Amino acid sequence: MLLRLRDISRFYGHRPVFKNVSLDLRRGSVTLLCGPNGAGKSTLLKIVAGLIKPSEGEVIIPDDEAPDIGYLDHRTFIYPTLSALENLRFWADLRGAPSADKDILPVLERMGLSDFAGEPAGLFSRGMAQRLNLARVFMQRPDLLLLDEPSNGLDKASLALLRAEIKKAGEDGACIVWITHSPDQDKVCADEIALLDKGALRVYPAALPLPVAEPAHGI
Amino acid sequence: MFRPALIIARKDLRLIAGCRGGLLQALLLGLLLIFMFSLSLAPGQVMSPQGAATVFWMSSAFCQVIIFSMLHSNEEENGQMLGLLLSPVPLQGIWLGKALAGACLLLLAQLVFLPAVFVFLRQEAGALWPVGLVSIAVGDIGIAALGALLGALARGRSAREALFSVIIFPLLTPIFLGGIRIGAAALGPGADGDYADWLGISLAFDAIFTAAALFLFPLVYNVDD
Repeated sequence: MLLRLRDISRFYGHRPVFKNVSLDLRRGSVTLLCGPNGAGKSTLLKIVAGLIKPSEGEVIIPDDEAPDIGYLDHRTFIYPTLSALENLRFWADLRGAPSADKDILPVLERMGLSDFAGEPAGLFSRGMAQRLNLARVFMQRPDLLLLDEPSNGLDKASLALLRAEIKKAGEDGACIVWITHSPDQDKVCADEIALLDKGALRVYPAALPLPVAEPAHGI
Repeated sequence: MFRPALIIARKDLRLIAGCRGGLLQALLLGLLLIFMFSLSLAPGQVMSPQGAATVFWMSSAFCQVIIFSMLHSNEEENGQMLGLLLSPVPLQGIWLGKALAGACLLLLAQLVFLPAVFVFLRQEAGALWPVGLVSIAVGDIGIAALGALLGALARGRSAREALFSVIIFPLLTPIFLGGIRIGAAALGPGADGDYADWLGISLAFDAIFTAAALFLFPLVYNVDD
């Protein structure tokens, strides 16, 4: 077990976003987090990441050692005036990871960006920038990979690359929580589907047909 | 804390160097202030050392608003702040990195402002000029400590610049007063006896701002829900 959410609630003022949510996150598992807009998926993900605190409940780390967290959302985390290589070197240096060219260039190669290693990342298209972001996260080899709709705006090739890298990360033992609005397409990579709807979380095996979530009202 | 701080500072300096408008805007604003005050002088008239030191620190004050605004904006454009928060770096390391980068840039700007003060405001270095240089370094430490903290308070560049100026100028008053008094002594012909007291006051505020920043930065540097 990597992380355990126990009876997590989050309120905006007095209004609950979700209440008494519990979820076990295991190494090597891929969990799709689905639900209508405004259900609190991103908020729940930020609680898992430790970026915000739950109003009630607790996040338990059974190993007493905080997992290394990789986070990917629609934003690219890149510094536009730095080159692709310099961007990756900065994030690797910050983690104390190897950051020599020989460590970074193979990752860029895998992402199809090796020809653009020295180019300012600000000149990249949306898909290229997100692939650079993918390189940042997968170079990190995190224990816990949190994905908040990372496929937004990606072309088919980038999307296929994203899915392949997620699958590989899962096989390498990373625990993955993936917010998606396309569970039908993404569930091939998943072990379970967590549906956050009307303030409650229900978890289903990915092999079962998907439950239908109703649009959120009043949020 | 120091290693990540150096990595962040190095990255910030590279970003500013790569952004053509950034530091130039801050430099031009400071130089413009010095030039405008020089226009108030009659031909052949020399500004008092205290007046010149005031103009120098005013230029530095406005310049640092732009500098720290830029340094924190760098982390917002593409959500990089989230990456910093999730990295295994103590939050104080992020503050220190911003403070180091800010101090370097401010010092660089002051290297331009100082000759401009001599030329446009017709000043001459007095016997205490080394103390004047020390007071600039001491003042910059306090400005950088507070700038790196307060720059993190507001989200969005325009909000930051507005909030930043309103909060930071009153807080930095002791540092500016110390800098002006010591600067006046350094530019004047005779030594003003109380410059050592002002240096002590500036150092004390450096320590207070640094301690406050180390404590408060983790509380203000966080993501919106």
